[in-house]
Order: sequence, then structure tokens, then C-alpha cells
Amino acid sequence: MVRPVKRVVIVGGGTAGWLTAGVIAAKQRSRMSAGFTVTLVESPNTPIIGVGEGTWPTLRSTLSRIGVSETEFFRQCDAAFKQGALFARWTTGTADDAYYHPLMLPQSFSQINLAPHWLASGSGMSFCDAVCPQGRICDDGLGPKTIATAEYDAVANYAYHLDAGKFAPFLQRHCCEKLGVRHVLADVSRVNLTEDGDIRSLDTAQAGEIEGDLFVDCTGFKALLIGETLGVPFKDCSDVLFCDTALAVQVPYESETSPIATHTISTAQSAGWIWDIGLPTRRGVGHVFSSRHISVDDAERELRTYIGPRGKDLPVRRIPIRSGHREIFWKRNCVAVGLSAGFLEPLEASAIVLIEMSAKLIAEQMPVCREVMDVLAARFNATTEYRWGRIIDFLKLHYVLTQRNDTAFWRDNRLPETIPGRLQNLLLLWKYQSPWYHDEFDRIEEVFPAASYQYVLYGMGFRTEVEPQIVAGTAKLAERAMRDNHTQTERLRAGLPRHRELIRKVVEVGLQPV
Amino acid sequence: MSKLEQLNPQDHGHLRLRPRSEPEPHFVQVVPVEFASAAACCPILFSKSPSSGAFYAGAMLGLKPGEPALKSADDRGGFEPLNLQRDGFFVSGEHIVIDRSNPRFSESEGEPLFDEAQQPSVALRRIQRVLRQVHDGAAQSDVFIRELVRLKLVEPIDISLSFDDGERLTLEGLYTVSRDALRDLGDADVLRLFRSGHLQLALTMAGSLNQLAILSQLRNRRPNKS
Repeated sequence: MVRPVKRVVIVGGGTAGWLTAGVIAAKQRSRMSAGFTVTLVESPNTPIIGVGEGTWPTLRSTLSRIGVSETEFFRQCDAAFKQGALFARWTTGTADDAYYHPLMLPQSFSQINLAPHWLASGSGMSFCDAVCPQGRICDDGLGPKTIATAEYDAVANYAYHLDAGKFAPFLQRHCCEKLGVRHVLADVSRVNLTEDGDIRSLDTAQAGEIEGDLFVDCTGFKALLIGETLGVPFKDCSDVLFCDTALAVQVPYESETSPIATHTISTAQSAGWIWDIGLPTRRGVGHVFSSRHISVDDAERELRTYIGPRGKDLPVRRIPIRSGHREIFWKRNCVAVGLSAGFLEPLEASAIVLIEMSAKLIAEQMPVCREVMDVLAARFNATTEYRWGRIIDFLKLHYVLTQRNDTAFWRDNRLPETIPGRLQNLLLLWKYQSPWYHDEFDRIEEVFPAASYQYVLYGMGFRTEVEPQIVAGTAKLAERAMRDNHTQTERLRAGLPRHRELIRKVVEVGLQPV
Repeated sequence: MSKLEQLNPQDHGHLRLRPRSEPEPHFVQVVPVEFASAAACCPILFSKSPSSGAFYAGAMLGLKPGEPALKSADDRGGFEPLNLQRDGFFVSGEHIVIDRSNPRFSESEGEPLFDEAQQPSVALRRIQRVLRQVHDGAAQSDVFIRELVRLKLVEPIDISLSFDDGERLTLEGLYTVSRDALRDLGDADVLRLFRSGHLQLALTMAGSLNQLAILSQLRNRRPNKS
């Protein structure tokens, strides 16, 4: 007799818990009438850690799929448009050192790789500006769409900056009111196992025993199920990514009309970097650093210098970071999503996108019965481990390409023993062949596409050798793509509204659903 | 540059109104009371206001901005959108406001706006009726469109036309009533839409799409069309 999987129990009510609940409930909605249930158990006492406020464009399709209105999302989550990240002082450390990692793909990316053409041209224009309009749009402080663009549609590709403290309750309301998710406010006092070692049920202080067929661990750093109960070890990666502490502060705007940056600003410091994220009501600023290379006091001083006199009396919150992830993510009938699965510094806003990808994978491959669960768990583990690995590689790339020698932090980051072997091989390859479209990054759902690598590599002054004969064959096509890019850039700069103005209109009159 | 003035017999007793002489725009906002007569001669589609993103319904008189209308008012069975009839006149609160820079206003030609007793003339009374219809129609449109959006009945439509001389025209930013979504409506919604008159309006819009082919043919036959 097969044992059907019909009761999904999610433990933990942060961003990970509610996003996972929403994605699973929306996908499995038609089975609800046949007894399929999604229950989210949340402690009424545990504070939620807002895991960073940057997202990837995937969040648009995720929110759309679970049936959330983008207008309501803006109204309730203090959201802003994000069109990429500006990395300042990462390459040489000088005041004019900055490059964009935008969210739009290079012009005609599926037809032609413009990187070698840009390299061969020796043009003074940055790679980003030569191949895509988004850097200029960000410079101008313009939104990625107009008020007449439908919800979730883009003129220029975009993600969001959001207030994570408002995002989880927003998702909660939607999950409970529209998607039929059961919400149980209770503290888990005991996790009960079957003889096989599966999780059978949770004892709770307020709501008695809660049974389930599949448990999702969204309990944050505590990792109550995957770690404490099932004993899956944590794989530390602080030998690759050194940052282990963050200091976060909320900075008010000078006035209600101050421009809102439409990109994350990441400014390198002596032993880490500072994020600066513009929400409509405030900026979120924080210093991520390696406490082996700088004292907390000095790190705080650098943070306050960055903010300027306005930051003098603002309270700073200290958050310890442990870079790494579980050795496996799905064990027996328990799968970890969010901080319980792992954490990496928020350099490329990878936390929420990983939650979305994991939730989607669980929702789409939802095991019908316990008998097939281990097969799917193995598949989930392989995919998820691959993803963590690629994110670690991609984050490390930012540190490997620096030319800074001013502190041990930057010098240590380039030591070969700290660079994953796969990344070392890629760097060797990219010396002679630039990354593109389907080479290397061939998974259907890559966290970072080849375009992202191009923007970071060539933004940071990396040189790929280009054989003139190779680019000659597609020179005409490249010329046209770059001309198209120039035309598109000017058209968008003339037609897109100011970022703050766009948000104000979205909140006031709303976007149309089509 | 428009020159807005509140209409009154003291300042405007001498003013006369001429028929519109400027070319008709290719897309003109229409209100529900006009749908039936509009649909008999041209497509009715939704577009979005660039400033608010809100939908509005419009009659398509031509296929390309800047080109003259493809049918004369006579060929349209006399249909002239209310928003063209009231050209030069606006409503501000309780008052009528005119744009003195509009060439319709003249001191020598056309029908007087006021009679000798400083009362509104026949021509002005006609305009007053039109303004009222436009004003009431705007409110009815809002309710109609809100209902359609709520029921997910509005869908974007991409119109691509090819002409004999090789020209291709793509019309973007237009929306229509989805016949598929209409078919999928539940009985309760259908009944409510029918009773409110919105079903009739929705079907009129959906049906008016057939006029696109006619406009396209007319344009195809027209010599030196641009």
C-alpha cells in the first residue's frame, strides 16, 4: 500500500516560510478538494530575520504565479524597483571606480556574443553601456516601466527592493485568505519521529500535535528539523567567502522628494563592503565585513563615515553571518528552505531567489507518495547543491577580480587556495574565450546567467584575448546590435518616468493587471 | 497653446461656433451611449491613458496616427464621436470652459453661442447636451471598465496588418474584450453583467473588431495613403 503525501507542514513564518507556502498552495490548488493541505506553523514569539531586501526578477513571476497583485505588493511592502547593482571601489578602490551589473541581457544576447566585439573595439565606453541601456537608466534615476505598463510587465527588466518585515505578513494574508493555507500560531516543543526516522508529527505548546507527510524547515538559522532533529551537518564556506558579520542601519531620506536609487549600491571598504538599498520611505544600509580583518568598532566607523553626518545617532544592529549551507537539503521527509538551508553574504541578493527556486522545485515535483520521495529528494539535493556552488563561485568572482592591494582582506581573497577549483578553471577558460549564452551555464534555471558573469568580468577590467578573425565574421551583426542599443538607450531615457514618481503613481492609482 | 476661459454671455456674447475643420484623430475616446453607433462603422478598443495608466474605450477612425479618417462622417452613418462634437468645450465644476485658441471659435462666421437675450443659442444648447453625455458617460465607462478588469475580461490585442504595397503596420497598446474569458464566466457573473447592461457593451466591443478588416481594406485601396 502506498503512503500518499497530502499534508505539507511548513515550520517557520518568515519570508521563506510564506513564500514556500504560497508557491506550493498555488501550484497544488486543484488538489485541495481531495484533501491536500498546506499548514504553516509559526511561533508567536520568534522574531523574523529580514534576510535582506534585494531580489531578482524571478520574484515577479513568483508573485504573479501565486496570484498577488503587484499594485498591492507596492502598497503594502514599501517596495521599490531594482534594476541591478552598482559596484563601487571594487576594482581599484579609487573614487571613480564603479561598474553596473544590470538586469537586462546584453543586446541580441541569444544571437550574438557582444563581449569579444566590445573587447576588440577598445572603445572607451563601459561594457554595460555598450551593450545595454540599463546603466544609463539607473544613472538617470528612472523607473523600469511606465504607469501604463501592465502589472509584472517590464520595459527594462527589473526586480524589487522591499521591506522584508512587511513582505512576510503581506504573503501571510494572501496565503491564508486566497490560497487556503492553514496558519497555526504555536511553539514546537517536540519533533516526533517514526521508527524509520521520518518526521511523523510536531508537538506544540498551543495547538497540540500536528501530523504531516512532508515537512519544510523554514526555521531560519535554528534549523530545527533539518539540523537539530535530523542532524544534517552544515558545510562552512568561510574559507572562500570571508565576511562573517554585518552591521545594519536604517537611514531616513533628506526629504520626501529625494530621489530613490533604482539599483543596489555596493561600495567596497577596507575589509568588506557596504550595501545601500533605497526603499520609498528609507534607505537600508549595512556593512558586511570579515572580523578577522577589521574590528567591529572600525567597521562601524567606516559605516558611519559612509552615511555621513546624518548617520551619527542612528542605531546600528549587529548580525552574525555564517557563510555556508547544509550538506544535503532534503533528508527523509524533510526539506530545508531559506536560512535553515544556508546563508551567503547578500552581495548579489541570492537569498530570496534561492527560496523561490527551491519552493518551485518542491511544488512542481511534489512527491505523490512517500515511496517516490527519496528519488525526488536526491534530485532536489543535486540541483540545490549545484545552485549553492554556482552562487559561491559568482560571489567569489567579485573578490578574485579585484586589483586592490591596500589591505590583507583584498590580498587574501586572491589566494589560490581560497578560490574554488571550478571557478579557477573558468577563469582560465575566460582568458581565451568569453562566457556566453549556453556554454558552461547550461541548466534550465541557472541562478546567474552567463550575462551576469560578463557584466562582472568586463565591469572589473577582466580581459579575454580576442582573435581578430573570430570577431570579423559577425562584425556587421555586432555593429547593428550596438547601434540598436544606442537607439534603445536614448528612447528609454526619454520615455521612462522618474523612479520615485513612478512608485507614487503605482501606489496612488495602481497598475493595470493587463 | 490653449487659452481657457469660463464661458459667459458678457465676454462671449459675440462669439460664433464653426464646424470642426481639423482632421479627425485616428482614435477618439467614446462613452457607452455611443457604442452601438460607433460599432456599426468602426472598431471600439481599449487603450491606456499615458499619465494614469487607466483604460479608456475609443473608436478607431483610422489605422495610423496623422492619417485622415478612413471613412467620412457620412460613410459612418453620421456617427461623430461626442468628444469631437464638443471640441473646444470643457466642463469645470458647474461651468463650461472654452479654449479660445480653438479655430472653431470665430467672431464673424458660424452659429452664435448666445441669442439676443444673452441666453444659450440652439448651437450652445446642443453642446451642453453633448457635454452632459460625455460627463455622465465618463462615470458609466469607469464602472464598466472596472467590472471588466475585475472579471479579467480585458486582454491585450496585437494587430498586425500587411498592405498590398508591402507596408506593414503593427498597432500596439490596444486591448479588447476577451471572448474566451466571456465564455468562461460563471452564471452569476453573466446574469449580473447582463442586467447591468455591461454584457451588451462587452459584446458590442468584441463584435466591432470585424470592422478592422474593413478599415484595412479601405486603407489598402486609398492611393498615396501616407
